[in-house]
Amino acid sequence: MNEFLEKLAVILEVDEVNGEDDLRAFPQWDSLTVLSVIAMLDADYGVNLRAADLQEAASAGVLWKLVQSKKSP
Amino acid sequence: MRGSVVKFTFRRKRISGMLAVVPARERTFLEEMSNFNFPESRSLKLKEVMGYDRRRLVEPGVCVSDLAVFGLRHLFEGGWLQPDEIDGLFLITQTPDYLMPPTSNVIQGRLGLKQDAYCLDISQGCAGFVIGLIQAFSLLEQEGVRKVVLINADVLSRKTSPKDRNIYPLVGDAAAITVIERDAADSVIHASVKMDGTRSEVLMIPAGGLRLPSSPETAVLEDVGDKNLRAKDHLFMDGSAVFNFVQTEVPPLIEDTLKNANVAVDAVDYFLCHQPNRFMLQKLADKMKVPHARMPNNVVERFGNSSGATIPIAVIINLAEQVKGAGCLACLAGFGVGMTWSSMLMRLGGLSFCELVDYA
Repeated sequence: MNEFLEKLAVILEVDEVNGEDDLRAFPQWDSLTVLSVIAMLDADYGVNLRAADLQEAASAGVLWKLVQSKKSP
Repeated sequence: MRGSVVKFTFRRKRISGMLAVVPARERTFLEEMSNFNFPESRSLKLKEVMGYDRRRLVEPGVCVSDLAVFGLRHLFEGGWLQPDEIDGLFLITQTPDYLMPPTSNVIQGRLGLKQDAYCLDISQGCAGFVIGLIQAFSLLEQEGVRKVVLINADVLSRKTSPKDRNIYPLVGDAAAITVIERDAADSVIHASVKMDGTRSEVLMIPAGGLRLPSSPETAVLEDVGDKNLRAKDHLFMDGSAVFNFVQTEVPPLIEDTLKNANVAVDAVDYFLCHQPNRFMLQKLADKMKVPHARMPNNVVERFGNSSGATIPIAVIINLAEQVKGAGCLACLAGFGVGMTWSSMLMRLGGLSFCELVDYA
């Protein structure tokens, strides 16, 4: 999960993101950030999530669990 | 329901010329940024990531037939095409002059084209260059048909909200005119198409048809929760859904086409895709493991995304000398409204014209 959090931090332009952080609370959280996260998940984890999936995830850790559950076996 | 891919094979057909008509009026992202309901720093970030810079927009009132008539007159005057040679005229657009009559007939009438020119409007958009080529090649199977003109034209800027950062900064207006005829060489062209109407609401203009006629209510700007203001009369695009659609559906379709042709990815000189923005094309190239240099992505930054006209514009601004000469093996791919996704493998070469003109 650490690598995943580091990738989120780069996209959100902050020093670090923790598992309990609510992504929606970051000032940089907008449609561009959502698309950048979707693209990162597709390229690096082979997972395609909808914008709504991201908006519904309560924290970075919850999103990570969602990514893990969708990862192709 | 998912089934097998619709496959097409055509023999002895070629593209003999391409012309793009773009409005002379240019707008820059920096000029328009203040319209958006977002901090400047975020809009600048969007510009950097997506590759937005300049785009071409029609003046108020300019219609698809105006761009098309201008372009065809340019070809007649230059001696590249004779009016009487046009046996078929397909217009692919999402922004016709009228609900009825067909805009292709309006063009025919304004130019005085012959009565046995087979004119047809086709409601397609970003996948429409390949769809139009399929229609043109099919018509050319008829012995009496010698030359078909394909026009991909849209003025979508007139249907987008200037306060919608989701769509406004990427749209451009243009018409592309492609001439298709028989090939003396024994050439083979492969194509594949898929459509999925269950996702038709991902890209749509909700009002203005008969289901929801335009009214004062449909002209009201609304914020549906993402800080973008648009009316039901405006083009709506679910950007992240389009992104996922392209990443998951387009690579397998292109693979199918290449497999049918027994051609490897590395043997294709250029992947000439519809141009939604630089970001999506780079991600598509990465997914297909194609070097960015073999998948041009520089149309949106100079002209904007003009729907079905972007593949011809990509050819004209990047490969004009090559396709007028010995040519190249090109894989074309379009994707968008419908949803529709299409790909085609063909040689482009020996074109008699391949240029871009300003409409003023």
